[in-house]
Amino acid sequence: MKLTGAIIQGLSDCFIIWKQELQQVFKDIGVILMFIVVPVVYPILYGLIYNTEVMRETPMVVVDESHSSLAREFVRKIDATPDVQVFAYASSLEEAREWVNRHKAYGILLIPSDFSQKINRGEQAVTALYIDMSGMLYYKAILLATTEAGFDLGAKIQVQQEAPIIYESVPFYNTQNGFASFLLPAILILIIQQTLLLGIGILVATTRERNQGRLIPEGSYYTGTFRIIFGKALTYLTIYVFVCFWMLMIVPHIFHIPQLTHYSSLLLFNLPYLLACIFFAMVVATFIRGREMPMMLLVITSVPLLFLSGISWPVSAMPDFWRYFSYLFPSTFGIQGFVKINSMGATLWEIAFEYRMLWLQTGVYFIIAYLIYRKQVK
Amino acid sequence: MILKIANREIRRLLTGKIYWFCILIAPLLCCLFFLSLMHEGLPSNLPIAVVDMDNTSSSRSLSRQLDAFEGVEVTAQYADFNRAQTEMQKGNIYGIFFIPRHFTQQTVSGKQPVLSFYTNNSYLIAGSLLFKDMKVVSTLAAGSVALQTGRAKGYSDRQVMASIQPVIIEAHPIGNPGLNYSIYLNNVILPGIFALLIMCVTVYSIGIEIKERTVPDWLAEGKFTLIPSIIGKLIPQTILFFITGLLMYFLLYVVMQFPVHGHMAAMLLALFLLIIASQALGVFMIGCFPTLRLGLSFACLFGMIAFSITGFSFPVDAMYPPIQALSNVFPLRHYFLIYVDQALNGRAFFYSWHHYLALLGFLIMPVFILRNLKWSLKYIPYKA
Repeated sequence: MKLTGAIIQGLSDCFIIWKQELQQVFKDIGVILMFIVVPVVYPILYGLIYNTEVMRETPMVVVDESHSSLAREFVRKIDATPDVQVFAYASSLEEAREWVNRHKAYGILLIPSDFSQKINRGEQAVTALYIDMSGMLYYKAILLATTEAGFDLGAKIQVQQEAPIIYESVPFYNTQNGFASFLLPAILILIIQQTLLLGIGILVATTRERNQGRLIPEGSYYTGTFRIIFGKALTYLTIYVFVCFWMLMIVPHIFHIPQLTHYSSLLLFNLPYLLACIFFAMVVATFIRGREMPMMLLVITSVPLLFLSGISWPVSAMPDFWRYFSYLFPSTFGIQGFVKINSMGATLWEIAFEYRMLWLQTGVYFIIAYLIYRKQVK
Repeated sequence: MILKIANREIRRLLTGKIYWFCILIAPLLCCLFFLSLMHEGLPSNLPIAVVDMDNTSSSRSLSRQLDAFEGVEVTAQYADFNRAQTEMQKGNIYGIFFIPRHFTQQTVSGKQPVLSFYTNNSYLIAGSLLFKDMKVVSTLAAGSVALQTGRAKGYSDRQVMASIQPVIIEAHPIGNPGLNYSIYLNNVILPGIFALLIMCVTVYSIGIEIKERTVPDWLAEGKFTLIPSIIGKLIPQTILFFITGLLMYFLLYVVMQFPVHGHMAAMLLALFLLIIASQALGVFMIGCFPTLRLGLSFACLFGMIAFSITGFSFPVDAMYPPIQALSNVFPLRHYFLIYVDQALNGRAFFYSWHHYLALLGFLIMPVFILRNLKWSLKYIPYKA
């Protein structure tokens, strides 16, 4: 009897704490900014920046010293590729360089004077390609288009014997090599963690400022550690259910990000991710004093965390130390798991590692949060 | 007068732990993090699987050739494509090289078998690096078979090669011949983090005076004239940031030996201008939103977008036109273009002067909000 009474009491306290925390959130413009405005506006901004997906028609210039119809044919073939546009013919390398120096073109193709003689004699003609390395995408587009055009030319002029082996490249998942499809899912997941960190950081610091440095306000509801932690976590969860719905279902839809998943696995995956983020943020927040400090201390973590997730810098090229370090953050497993489910159509079974790690983080950070708050409960 | 304010500011900077963190510790930690994370430069040994349905000595030799590439490591062999695809979905491999059944037999009999390679483009860098290596191996395989059959028919190797690949393209990646991703990314990411911190510190150092109601104290030193008061406050920070910036440059260009093909002075000037442009934007931000947390949020959100809109990973030319225009209001964008001209390519100063000018132009920004800031400094602190 006593136990049931305690449970009912605990639950009702829990909901009162939930309600009070919710009020706290909506009274604080700084927190509203983090919990609502940023999650709503930021994905749109990033979407608009990356939504064109690919670099089309990268401009390049040609220096044609051969003046042959074969060379012109070669250039036409390069120009015909969707990735590259031959912006101009330059009369000399100097002139071509001028175009590149002025950022009007990103590559120079030098066709030597013996180009067509050599090919007609059945020898290999050597062309030189100079590429501006300010962006890897320029490099990739120009090199690929030129190589393809070279092969094409061989086939066209029939000096080419039939290749003994054919090969085909099949891009998987992000088939058009789009930038938004590659980066946006990772950014969305990261925004969830970072805004929770900042928002909860501000809330905790405010409570501290108002209660002489204590983490818990006065009041009879705040007598049990479990109900405090669950009550607060429930508040953030309530808000972030809506945030996730917006960020992970509507935003990808708006920007035509491929989604190869069932919403049920998305939902099942997001639960441990949100819980891990919430408890992680509750732990981190207790170490920060001052309402403005969360922003000052945490804002620079976003870019490193994106790289630690292994989505752009491959995990296999990461030094061990940083790879294990990345296991501390929910975003690492959140991003990997989400990209695999969302963009690659993996099932929960295939991302079992990430899934288990997120539950493990949920457990560990919950225990740490529990220990910290228990000290405060008197 | 300015000296007096600067003196007061130095005392504040030295005693505030957060300043030590944001001005010195955080930028250097980020340098160490990114430079050690990408110390490989070009990611090597990316794991792939070979699905060898042929399983002859020549197909096995093909997979050994692939493994010999520095960028590739064949971590698994499967006799079944679905297994490989599951491994790809789990993220254990980034690519699959598929050798079809009867590959050797068909090659010999001239039936043109098809080699297929699959890359996981959800990981853009890994996907495109693997694409390159697997393509080269396929070409080499075709070449070696052609050489064998060609020799048997009495052609010279040169003739055979010319018939397979009539046009050779010698690529010269200017300034970064090794396609080093650390050079490519860190030359912009690190200054970007630096600029973000500068904006935050500027906003914070003014905002905290408002929050803690020490504005009268600050302005009194400047005889209540706003512009000298702000300048006096920011100069010590400029100096400290410049020192940190020099440390960052030391790591990038001396320790790591990243290329500077132009004059170092041009880069140092860019660094200095990036610092004062970011400071000016910081003043603008706290002037727009004269409460600490809103000003700070503005700085953070703006500074984060800078990484994307600068266009070092996804080119600005490929973005929507309004976004292209917007990219100009980010100091990092101009810094990036100066870096491309002056350090990466070693172009004449003349090609980048307008970006230097643009960075300088940010110094006007605070003027627009001067009145607002003055008002806030005067009245907000006295509000109960």
